[in-house]
Amino acid sequence: MDGMRTDAELMELYRRGSRDAFEELYARHHRRVIHFCYRMTGDQARAEEAAQEVFLRIARAASTYQPTARFTTWMYTIARRTTLNFLRDEKEDGEKVPIHDNGEGRDAAEGLPLPGPEEWDPERIAWGKQLKEKFLEALQNLPEGHRSALLLNRGEGLSYDEVATVLNITVQAVKSRIFRAREALLAELSGVLK
Amino acid sequence: MECTEIREIISAYVDGEASPEEARRVEEHLGSCAECRSAEKRMRALGVAVTRTEGAVPHDFRENLFARMEAEDLLPKRRSIFVFSVRWAAVPLAAAAAMALYVISSREAPRELSSTAVGPPRVASEMPGPGTTSPAVPGKEERKTQVVANGGKLSPEDREIVANLEILEDPDLFDEPQIDEMEIFVPSSRRRG
Repeated sequence: MDGMRTDAELMELYRRGSRDAFEELYARHHRRVIHFCYRMTGDQARAEEAAQEVFLRIARAASTYQPTARFTTWMYTIARRTTLNFLRDEKEDGEKVPIHDNGEGRDAAEGLPLPGPEEWDPERIAWGKQLKEKFLEALQNLPEGHRSALLLNRGEGLSYDEVATVLNITVQAVKSRIFRAREALLAELSGVLK
Repeated sequence: MECTEIREIISAYVDGEASPEEARRVEEHLGSCAECRSAEKRMRALGVAVTRTEGAVPHDFRENLFARMEAEDLLPKRRSIFVFSVRWAAVPLAAAAAMALYVISSREAPRELSSTAVGPPRVASEMPGPGTTSPAVPGKEERKTQVVANGGKLSPEDREIVANLEILEDPDLFDEPQIDEMEIFVPSSRRRG
């Protein structure tokens, strides 16, 4: 094989019956799919189910894939819709369960000593376990559309233009959603500063 | 420009999505506004937080996924191991088949052997010295005489071994045409000579 095949070429090979091609696609993208599902759902078990479903849907919809679009853009479109279904299921079950409950009905991370605004140096900040958990919870409190936009851009590396394609909105709308997501997160995380 | 107006542009600037003109305005504003510089830092920190929020990949994730896909006929199954081993076992299988034919054929050939001989049969004679004319391999009659001279007590298994050894020493005893086992699986185009 001369050079590495593109994702589009692998999809075409898979459509013609190549198992190896799908295995290569899986090897390239399974981690980012799991990470995205985890960030969207906030729950490891749900993320695993959603990620499995994403790949199943990719396989089922292989015949509809158009190589004119980047494979990852198409993949994240499927991933986002898949996680939406899991979130809808969660809402039908009732209130969201806090990621951590100290048994007294309050978030166990309340009062967490987070760095003050003057210490938010992205290179020096220590993202310990508690802070990560608090951040994950704060992500889940964002409106889904804002969360998706932020995660697709900052988490998965999609450009504003690609995010707009995945979410089927304008680039200006992407810009606005990401900004509002940041504002909401900073407000929630700053609220537990000591 | 008011800070509240430029904050959204700073957000795009942090993401590398500001136009050249917007980037210039942001950098100019950041140069003179400590509060917006702090806001820019916090926005970048959130991006780092996103990338550091990762789900775990279960060790059986791939196995479970592919099993589900095979069940739905979404993934062609791997070729049977049997097919693989037939291809690679062709050479030793052919050799084993040739040897089996050889042994079976040698057992069918009638042979005369004394049943009273004992001891290990002669496998090879001494090498003839220079100037001698004696054959390297003793003749059939001579070998029979040697076997008889050992006492003449051979078990059926020993008789079988002796019979086969005689054939190996003297191919003329074998009625079937001499077969080069290697010819079975070496294409003629690759043969030497």
